[in-house]
Amino acid sequence: MAEPMRQRLVLPRVARAELIAGDAVEELGRRVGVPRDTLAEVKLAVVEACLNALEYGGGEVEVELVAHRDEAPWLEVAVVDHGPGFNPEDQPRPVLAAKLHALRKRGWGLELIRRLMDEVEITSRPGLTRIRMIRRTGGQ
Amino acid sequence: METFELRTVQRQGELAVLEVAGYINNEGGEAIASEARALLDGGCRTLLLDLHATRIINSIGISLLLEVLERTLEVKGTLAFCCLTPSIAKTFQIMGLGQYARLFPDRASALAELAQVR
Repeated sequence: MAEPMRQRLVLPRVARAELIAGDAVEELGRRVGVPRDTLAEVKLAVVEACLNALEYGGGEVEVELVAHRDEAPWLEVAVVDHGPGFNPEDQPRPVLAAKLHALRKRGWGLELIRRLMDEVEITSRPGLTRIRMIRRTGGQ
Repeated sequence: METFELRTVQRQGELAVLEVAGYINNEGGEAIASEARALLDGGCRTLLLDLHATRIINSIGISLLLEVLERTLEVKGTLAFCCLTPSIAKTFQIMGLGQYARLFPDRASALAELAQVR
């Protein structure tokens, strides 16, 4: 079995930094043969995880990408930040009817990540939050 | 990087068609919200957003599209989208957007259907 392809990024604190990670996962996935539509979904999940890390985290935001070159290629991504941390169980699931009339219409990121990826694991404590996501080819 | 562009390409009676290209983030979403507000204030009641050149909408962009939707519903108008990529269609499906906005595969079918609404 071929060795997986790996890439590690540290995101700069600039506008649209999340797209750097999104573009990188798209490129790596393309190289191992992940279908385009699957890649677009993974890209959005990665963009959302990075946005959360850049907005709420602190210190460096690191992104670890692993593209597995199996018969059915698959992607593994971890986004790490060093902010105060959060309890994912405390995050309410967004409901469109309620959001439409609410002042704050944000809060879709985590829901999108969970629904677009096959596996999502969040570990968080003060100083270290890690969102690890897996998407298998043709998953969902 | 995906450059954002927004153009109102058609204005016919109470219908306006907005072509959106590039990444819809906070800036793109604000631009759409601002243009939509102006169109609704100017009497438009049906807004069609053609997303054929948009490949990604982040959650901040989504929240701003919801502002447009809320404002459109307040004036008893219709917000519609066409030409969605599969990933944007899936994003909208996850949100349940189809309950409140009209979704069409292409602009021609959208215009044919929306012309009957008004």
